[in-house]
Amino acid sequence: MRPFKFTTVSDISSATNSVAGKPNARFLAGGTNLLDLMKEDVERPEELIDITRLNLTQIKPLTDGANEIGISIGALGKNTDAANHPLIRQHYPLLAQAILAGASGQIRNMATNGGNLLQRTRCPYFYDVAMPCNKREPGEQPGCGAREGINRMHAIFGWSEKCVAVHPSDMAVALAALDAVIKVRSASGPERIIALADFHRLPEDRPEIDTNLRPGELITAIELPKNRFAEKSYYLKVRDRSSYAFALISVAAALELDGNRIVQARIALGGVAHKPWRALKAEQLLVGQEATEANFKRAAEAEMADAKPLEHNAFKVELGKRSMVRALQVALTGNRS
Amino acid sequence: MQEKNKVTGTPVSRIDGILKVTGKAAYATDYPVKNIAYAVLFKSTIAAGTIRSLDTGPAEKSPGVLAVITHKNAPKLKIDGGIRGGALLQSPKIEFHGQHIGLVVAETYEQARHAARLVKVEYIKSEPRVDFEKLSKEAVLPKDKEKADAKRGDAKAALQNAEFKVEAVYGTPIEHHHPLEPHSTIAEWQGENVVLYNSSQIVNGAQMAAAATLNIKPENVRIVSPYIGGGFGSKGGQWANLVLTAVAAKVVNRPVKLALTRQQMVNSVGLRQKNHQKVSLAATKDGKLTALAHETTTHCAIENEFVEPCGDCSKIMYEVPNSLITYRVVPMNLILPTYTRGPGKSTGSFALESAMDELAYQLKMDPIEFRLKNEPTRDPSNGKPWSSRTTVQCLQEGAKAFGWEKRKAEPRQNQQGNFLIGYGVACGTYPAHQRPSSARVSLNRKGNAITARVELAAADLGTGTHTILAQTAADALGLPLNQITVKLGDSDLPPAAGAVGSVGASSYANAVHDACVKLTDELIAKSGKQFFVRPTAAQLMVSENVADYQTRVDAKPPANADQYSSHSFNANFAEVRVDIATGMVRVTRFLAVTGAGKILNPKTARSQIIGGNVWGIGMALTEESVVDPRWGNFVTRSFGDYHVPANLDIGAMEAIFIREDDRASNALGVKGIGEVGIVGVAAAVANAVFNATGKRVRELPITPDKLL
Ligand SMILES: Cc1cc2nc3c(=O)[nH]c(=O)nc-3n(C[C@H](O)[C@H](O)[C@H](O)COP(=O)(O)OP(=O)(O)OC[C@H]3O[C@@H](n4cnc5c(N)ncnc54)[C@H](O)[C@@H]3O)c2cc1C
Ligand code: SF4
Repeated sequence: MRPFKFTTVSDISSATNSVAGKPNARFLAGGTNLLDLMKEDVERPEELIDITRLNLTQIKPLTDGANEIGISIGALGKNTDAANHPLIRQHYPLLAQAILAGASGQIRNMATNGGNLLQRTRCPYFYDVAMPCNKREPGEQPGCGAREGINRMHAIFGWSEKCVAVHPSDMAVALAALDAVIKVRSASGPERIIALADFHRLPEDRPEIDTNLRPGELITAIELPKNRFAEKSYYLKVRDRSSYAFALISVAAALELDGNRIVQARIALGGVAHKPWRALKAEQLLVGQEATEANFKRAAEAEMADAKPLEHNAFKVELGKRSMVRALQVALTGNRS
Repeated sequence: MQEKNKVTGTPVSRIDGILKVTGKAAYATDYPVKNIAYAVLFKSTIAAGTIRSLDTGPAEKSPGVLAVITHKNAPKLKIDGGIRGGALLQSPKIEFHGQHIGLVVAETYEQARHAARLVKVEYIKSEPRVDFEKLSKEAVLPKDKEKADAKRGDAKAALQNAEFKVEAVYGTPIEHHHPLEPHSTIAEWQGENVVLYNSSQIVNGAQMAAAATLNIKPENVRIVSPYIGGGFGSKGGQWANLVLTAVAAKVVNRPVKLALTRQQMVNSVGLRQKNHQKVSLAATKDGKLTALAHETTTHCAIENEFVEPCGDCSKIMYEVPNSLITYRVVPMNLILPTYTRGPGKSTGSFALESAMDELAYQLKMDPIEFRLKNEPTRDPSNGKPWSSRTTVQCLQEGAKAFGWEKRKAEPRQNQQGNFLIGYGVACGTYPAHQRPSSARVSLNRKGNAITARVELAAADLGTGTHTILAQTAADALGLPLNQITVKLGDSDLPPAAGAVGSVGASSYANAVHDACVKLTDELIAKSGKQFFVRPTAAQLMVSENVADYQTRVDAKPPANADQYSSHSFNANFAEVRVDIATGMVRVTRFLAVTGAGKILNPKTARSQIIGGNVWGIGMALTEESVVDPRWGNFVTRSFGDYHVPANLDIGAMEAIFIREDDRASNALGVKGIGEVGIVGVAAAVANAVFNATGKRVRELPITPDKLL
């Protein structure tokens, strides 16, 4: 690992001040992604600001004075604590399921909620400094190793010639379905609120930029609005082994019903794009319809019609359809077997 | 399996278990050697060509750096001294991606790793040979005489005329051993002598290879390797990292530690090669095999050859008048393949036993019945009698224990909710050999308290070798288990076979047993008395008032061992549950029934078998090392990408041993269980997947996409 400076901070303003104007400084949260990348020489920060002592770990209800209107999840809380929190288990079981579908128990004990959103792609060419990767070496534009390489794990939506990577987070997929917003602070300027849908970006011509977070910004919390999905939601993750593997496809599905008629539907896909992929087309087709397998199928097919698979991942189109139908079925019936 | 009053055959826990779980067992790099420096290897980023220039200046100037060693300044080594896979820094030539091209030695590990990245390398590239799919068309006959075409009768003609036949190609990918303990070494020179603390499956082999390569005498090299954190074949032959540590220590004139990273493991210490196996089977209408052809195409390194014997199971498993076993190889710019658990048999049985399942289905015959119909009475490859063969019992007892009668003959007939359930069976075998090994046994008496010390340069891969040898000695000497100390893994001890090829248990246990018997004989002779009942060594120490006594044997396999064909056999039963929508497969139940001679310790034996089974399930469902066919690099470089099965992938595991008394194979009748546990497993799972879904997957691993 390259030598770096290490600073510990204990409040938000010293955190944001310590990185202001320093493009080569990084916050260190759980370190489960950043340190791995530093050991592999992919990330080369000159300074690490340890933010684990910031008082940003709570999970608490949000109110507008009188009524509960949602929940706030501290950016530095651990993934394990979020997944097991009674408020989340009760009101946002989809989020708990998604978190628990990711990584391993040990990693979730270290990983923070903010860090999870900012984890970088698992594209093997990105991880191997001997390989060409536009995301890792933006200035030199060496090319994308995966575009015509081993791209079985890569994107079928929204990719560019510059980069075909997918975002690896499970948690973010559930957050996308649940209309989360991200609260951020910086040294200059007021608090900023970014909708999760706008938080991660597509690679386009700048694959080195994963998100719309600006340099120096600190995530303080993730907020979820109140919803009526708790009864009927499900996170399905399809992967090459039963646990501790990234998604081939994942689906966060949530339904609000009136009788058997769909009032609202939320579907987000993981493992298909550079960001959690909201299946807006499918959602729109479902609203107002009966919750039936045939309608689920029609919606899934419509969504997947726009997919553009690469050489080795055409299977994701069919798998994506089937997984959406299955996830919606389980959300509807609660029957996983 | 247990004899009266004997500790052998009882399920005692590992005698080194407490040491291991409390972290007190010192593995190679745990030795508290003083004044140590750290070495980190750096590797080529092309697969074929030559190094044009190397700029080591910035690395040399980096803080803490003691030396940068490359082909330009490395001491001269003997490249054919027995180190596998080359990469000894003797020339600028690059033969595979990730070949070692140098190492940095520094005061700390971090300094060394950082400096290694500062070395600038320019290459003259040539076109690498790395695309197996393309190159397999130009495969050639191997140099190895054992891999020459083996024909009996005329398989091709018999196939042509057959009414029932299967001809299919089965593919298995590159796999890596990935023991949890990466290969690691400490080298410490004392004058002309070097001590190498190093994880070695063949202690004396490592000593010989290191000495020859370093151009010094074997007696100047000592290998210390008491505990091994897994090896699976990758620590059998020794690789460049062992001698390069010694070279580094010499250059900086200090002890040096070198441990590979997980990412470096993919191109430093061998691999299981990718195979295309074409299996053709023909049978009569009533299920008698008439022809078996097993034609393997595989790859080897550019300069050196290693070919997994994929046709071995096909040679001996079934009675068949016409047989053809062939091998073809393609030299490629990849690291040399090597022995990998159940070499050839685990991959070969996938092809053979899948084809048997396919043909049974075609014949509308139960796959167990089909196998029983073709059971050979002698080894069909050489006509020798079996020392013993348990395939029939394994199949029959297994079928009973597993509830085989619940299996539906037709696929897709057992659906439960979102899942299809299937059952599969497959057989396996692995040769049983005893190899020459020496052992020393020493007794010491203090009053009536007698302790024994058993010593040999054997290797314990973590499988329980210390324990079974203590059990063997306890019974042979008449002492309680806790009075026995076992010392292994040091080349200063009497030389022993390697823990490879499933020869460890039989070679070591027979040697230790012989040494104990000899020691008792000598004490009896020394006493000058006649005994009606043979006393134990422990009794003699007391009655003859002996304080210390020691003896040593050089044990050899029985003289007539090669009159017999000696193998362990098994039958594997898998139940799988396949998610209809997503294609995800779970092995919900697995049973291995094994006949492996005398089982010295049912607990460690069960662990060995289910350990092999788990890897076999990994082979079937998850494990694959992927090479980029353009550049020859591995894209699966961590446990995040190389999927060994996780806990959740493994359902209920059961191991049953068939009782056997096979004294024809060796005096104790111990046949070895290290490898047989993985043989036949992948086929059992693939056959169960077919039974569940009606899909025959012939290309491992069976990932969800292959079942859509
Ligand atoms: C083997 C393995 C398997 C995994 N499998 C999965 C999986 O299946 N699914 C899944 O979703 N994840 C998986 N993960 C990823 C894991 O979830 C992430 O590594 C983890 O969530 C990152 O959190 P962290 O706190 O450790 O982040 P860090 O590594 O500390 O930081 C990551 C990045 O976020 C930045 N950062 C952190 N906190 C803040 C903040 N508050 N404000 C601004 N910037 C911040 C850091 O500067 C850094 O750039 C896996 C990880 C490993 C190692
Ligand atoms: S897909 Fe993106 S991350 Fe992967 S190699 Fe291409 S540019 Fe790099």
